[in-house]
Amino acid sequence: MKIELEDVRHVYAAGTTFEVAALRGVSLAVEPGEVLAVVGGTGSGKTTLVRHLNLLLEPTSGRVLVDGEDARVLRRSELRGRIGLVFQSPEEALFAPNVFEDVAFGPRRMGVGEEEVEKRVQDTLQRLGVAHLADRSPFALSGGEKRRVAIAGVLAMHPEVLVLDEPTAGLDPATRGELLDVVCGVRDEGGTVVIVSHDLDEVAEVADRVCVLECGEVRAFGRAADVFYAEPRYAPATVRTAALVARDYPGVGRPVSFRETLAALRGVLGRETT
Amino acid sequence: MGPNGGGKSTLARLSNGLLHADSGRVRVAGLDPAREPYLVRRRVGILFQNPDSGLVAPFVEDDVAFGLENLGAPREEMRERVAEAIRAVGLSGYERREPHTLSGGEKQRVALAGLLAVGPEVLVLDEPTSMLDAAGRREVLERVHALRGNRTVLHLTHHLEEVLDADRVLVLNAGRLVADVAPEWLVSDATLLRENRLVLPTVSRLALGLGLPPAKPRTPEELAAAVGERAERRVGRR
Repeated sequence: MKIELEDVRHVYAAGTTFEVAALRGVSLAVEPGEVLAVVGGTGSGKTTLVRHLNLLLEPTSGRVLVDGEDARVLRRSELRGRIGLVFQSPEEALFAPNVFEDVAFGPRRMGVGEEEVEKRVQDTLQRLGVAHLADRSPFALSGGEKRRVAIAGVLAMHPEVLVLDEPTAGLDPATRGELLDVVCGVRDEGGTVVIVSHDLDEVAEVADRVCVLECGEVRAFGRAADVFYAEPRYAPATVRTAALVARDYPGVGRPVSFRETLAALRGVLGRETT
Repeated sequence: MGPNGGGKSTLARLSNGLLHADSGRVRVAGLDPAREPYLVRRRVGILFQNPDSGLVAPFVEDDVAFGLENLGAPREEMRERVAEAIRAVGLSGYERREPHTLSGGEKQRVALAGLLAVGPEVLVLDEPTSMLDAAGRREVLERVHALRGNRTVLHLTHHLEEVLDADRVLVLNAGRLVADVAPEWLVSDATLLRENRLVLPTVSRLALGLGLPPAKPRTPEELAAAVGERAERRVGRR
């Protein structure tokens, strides 16, 4: 599924003294099968942007297109099943008496048969490493466990596009890594992922393309390496290190992920020894 | 430090009587926080994770004054302490701003000022930066850093780079204290890190992978300099 934003503006509380233009003419496309990261400071419009992807928020002006068609003509329930949105702090929305029921809620609402629901719930809990919690109350879990259960609830709807708003904030580093593996797994199976993050180091590990927002406008958009090497303020530690080393040793290239960067820096040290 | 569910937040909440121990003793300056929470809370202030959850007043200065007002501080003294606290977090000029118009980092600094105004001996910071962007994180950490020496800081975090300057690091896992060590010790103990789901900062991991000491370069600038130096040495030797 391809999602396009065409000159989208979004104004909160229009016509009042609290009026804020959160998006000021944003155009971009989410291509099928990619991981697109949306980065930018607090208040830059990241959350407002991703809430337009499934029309949870409607543009004040401009359009959202799904596979070339104006998203407003699609049924909202269908749109939200196909584009799964995981909110910031999604654990606040857990509500069912046990984890299984909570994760089953979405697929059941979509009319999925009970046998299939059961299978999906078990598969998804397994995938997120929380299958052993199925019978527990979601309120008696740790923060990291709750987060994974909440994400499972969206994944179990088998969305074509998974949208994650700050999915790793507040998680321990190992849990963060496991969640990013899940993100990569979704992409490897042909799914599309849009991820909002403050953590540029994690963006470097998962993103194919990066969109940098500043004050509601797209400041940079493109392949991760192109964006990071052009915008040092929004570059992860790997890129910042490699860019500095490249001043004296241009052979280091433009690595982005940790693995690429380590190999490139080893190259600089190794080549000089021969 | 320690994994999600390790007990960090529980420990923080035991320290000022928000939670009570089922058994065992908690003492803060000789006081039992479960029995004398109000006395203890003057001495122990907690800064929570979510910058939106703690702000209550329409203007920054009223918010910072809130704790003092509850303690019934005299008006003149209150004015001075509020101004001083706002200065200490670098928000002078923000007195009449509305908290909801501030960035996440600024909101956390307002909350921190509210704690400082009361003048606690101990500051407990419960993952104060986990919901902030890089700039907000730096702002808050700089202010926390500046407080050292004046009072005790108990800083709960998942970010190892935030504890490299600490005097001691306690590691909690599954409700048990599993380590009480110096930060340099923690970053060089791969087993201790792995068992407690801790990951070194990117710069340290790159340093380690290049055979450099992991605790030494802390920034991309320092790492790049170390790489350059080593590369040059090798050229010189040849």
